[in-house]
Amino acid sequence: MDFEEKIESLLTVPPYSACPLDKHAGLLSILREELVYACQRHEGYRNYVHNWPIDYQSASLVADLPYLPVGILKTDPPLSLVDRAEIKRTLTSSATSSQQPSRVVVDSPTARRMTKGVVAIVRDFIGSARRPYLVVDTKDLMGEAALGARGAAIQGLQPFASVVTYCLTLNDQGNLALNRGRLEEFANFHTDSEVLVYGFTYILWNYLVVPLMSEGIRLNLPKARILHSGGWKRLQDEAVEKTLFNEQLARTFGCTPDRITDFYGMVESVGVIYPDCSEGNKHAPLFGDVIVRDTLTLKPVGEGEQGIVQVCSVLPSSFPGHLLLTEDRAEVIAYDGCPCGRRGISFRFAGRIPKTEMRGCGNLQVNRSLLN
Amino acid sequence: MIELAQPTLTQAVTSSEEINNASARLRQTVLETEISPNAVIGVFDSWAKKLNTLDLDAAPGISFLRMWLRRGTLEPIVARELGPNSLHGRWHDYGRAKCKAFPVGVVGHWPAGNVEIQPILSMTCALLGGNAAIVRIPSGLFEVTQRIMEKLVECDTEEVLTRRIFMAAYDHSRQDLQEAMAKSVDGAMIWGGEEAVLQIRSLPFPHWTRIAVFGPRISVAAMDAEAWSDPENQETWCRRIARDVWQFDQQACSSPQVLFLEKKGNGESTAQFLLMLQRAFEIENRAHPRRAIAGALTSAICRARASWLLKDTTHKAVFPVGPDWTLLIGSGSDVPSPTQGKTLTVLEVDDLGDAVAKFDGNVQTLGLAMADSQKESKVALLAGQRGVDRIVKLGQMHVFVPPWDGVDLIRPMVRMVRHVSSTEGENAK
Repeated sequence: MDFEEKIESLLTVPPYSACPLDKHAGLLSILREELVYACQRHEGYRNYVHNWPIDYQSASLVADLPYLPVGILKTDPPLSLVDRAEIKRTLTSSATSSQQPSRVVVDSPTARRMTKGVVAIVRDFIGSARRPYLVVDTKDLMGEAALGARGAAIQGLQPFASVVTYCLTLNDQGNLALNRGRLEEFANFHTDSEVLVYGFTYILWNYLVVPLMSEGIRLNLPKARILHSGGWKRLQDEAVEKTLFNEQLARTFGCTPDRITDFYGMVESVGVIYPDCSEGNKHAPLFGDVIVRDTLTLKPVGEGEQGIVQVCSVLPSSFPGHLLLTEDRAEVIAYDGCPCGRRGISFRFAGRIPKTEMRGCGNLQVNRSLLN
Repeated sequence: MIELAQPTLTQAVTSSEEINNASARLRQTVLETEISPNAVIGVFDSWAKKLNTLDLDAAPGISFLRMWLRRGTLEPIVARELGPNSLHGRWHDYGRAKCKAFPVGVVGHWPAGNVEIQPILSMTCALLGGNAAIVRIPSGLFEVTQRIMEKLVECDTEEVLTRRIFMAAYDHSRQDLQEAMAKSVDGAMIWGGEEAVLQIRSLPFPHWTRIAVFGPRISVAAMDAEAWSDPENQETWCRRIARDVWQFDQQACSSPQVLFLEKKGNGESTAQFLLMLQRAFEIENRAHPRRAIAGALTSAICRARASWLLKDTTHKAVFPVGPDWTLLIGSGSDVPSPTQGKTLTVLEVDDLGDAVAKFDGNVQTLGLAMADSQKESKVALLAGQRGVDRIVKLGQMHVFVPPWDGVDLIRPMVRMVRHVSSTEGENAK
């Protein structure tokens, strides 16, 4: 794969330093090569690319390249560009009981780049030092061959860990429960240290903040850097907004709210996560991009406009996940010039695409028996 | 909270009492003032002319509504469904007896949210039978319905019809209002998808309420080899297919979701025809571009394109960059799951009968383009046996003419009263 070296070189540069024009030219070149490679490895994908209305070989914009809707990764067996023996892990997205999860196969080169990608991004936000790592989740998630969204996120931050402590366990009923002893031991031992804390947003709230707040317990970890991800849907259902969440979480840990960082990540976009900057915006790293597409035209929207999010990443080579149209919406804040200093697009998520049921008389969901 | 620009006929309903009061008033009107189909058609005909204004032209289906409301369209339908003399509300001979159509009373209408003119169409069927109508307007159709109804108000100066109509705007999740409406009607016309139909059918209607359900169906188009390969008519057929796909954004039960093309015996390729079809879609799209789309539909269209092409390397597809329209091309005789949003699957099949034989009762309309009339008769017979209720020419798949879904449109909401005279014949002595 000729593009490997190019990707590696992108991973060594500060991820938000390039001017957008230079960045896009570099991305376009690598993505084209990756498309050639993916087409060679998967004939169905080749068929998709060849039927795309714009020839990717002559495309002048990343936005013109053929993207896959993320829902297409919900197939079993998963879409793969590598032989079965090369698959190191299968990542699965979180999904409700009525939905199929996405399945993403990861080989060694993709896994390596995935780790480097997350490290490059997180380093830009919290520095590169290793520190005690408190995981607000259970160790039982960390399977060998299969890994869910929570497990993947926990693992992605391990390069910043000197020692890892999991403070939740599964009780006899298989439900998550806070291990008070382990948490207190961690807090007491690292009171004066820089520590890293990570948990899914709703898990942090329901299994740590709420129980500790109800008993008036506060941890004394003023140097904690708290990262969380997984979205706000569940907490919004419980009427917990971001400001309240940040205030209560900071109070529980004994730190200031500015030490809390919400990031968006999806299993399907391996190695690329989108933390909030100090301005509350998200940015795309050098080895990836975000295109926000108008729902009516599927063309990129202008600044201040909302649309469907497409994520781009040069990192995966084990599955065709370079260009994925998500089911999330976002607003483009600016295409460059965020006051935080990071170059390129700045955007904010605006929730999921509403799953409006098509209510028409032509909306057929079940078969009916003849002459019934 | 539902907000309406003007309170013309459509009212934002917040309590059951409002529905009960409206129903009582309408029922009284029906009892006190009999109205003949001819009188109704007279107002409808004027209404049709009023709808001929530029500001309404963009409303989907408006040209069809104009045609439907004309005297020339409705008179034969009334005569066929209700019998001779029914136009003027008179008794007609029925063997030794006489018959006359009477209204069932107040008819409730639950139209689907995807067809802009459906609240009006449904209501007109009940009014032609002399009924009054309570119409629940789906939230997305307030504005267009309001604009159409304003034209009725303009021409119905005597309030012949408007005093028989109550248009209710309330959220579909208001179970109390749905129940109040169901309890207050003598007839119900229910249109829509499976979930909506099941929900409304389960409401507490009185035991005497006549219920007509026009539930979820899909439709299919088919062409025999001689029709699609005929160079003289190819373009016309393609334009007709595009027109059938475009109306109602392909979300109506009468919208074709798949086009079966019978393979030609000599192996002639469909490529030229498909190119023509692509052009017809492009032309129709330029003439009638979509003005808005739900994000979920955009996603569904992208998914349909990708899954079609990834699934089988013999599959092809033609589509623009945007979600405007899509042709998914392959072969096979199974009816695929509909995507809607102007996504037409085109399947080559050895024999059209193979495809029609697999219909399972879900297919409402079969739009045909056949050069061979004998073959058409065979296909029509098989389609009827396999549950199809309408077999029409391509380009006319949405033409709203009874029977629809296999049933009449006016007759279900009237009572045919039979009178055997006691003053005539032997008994009169």
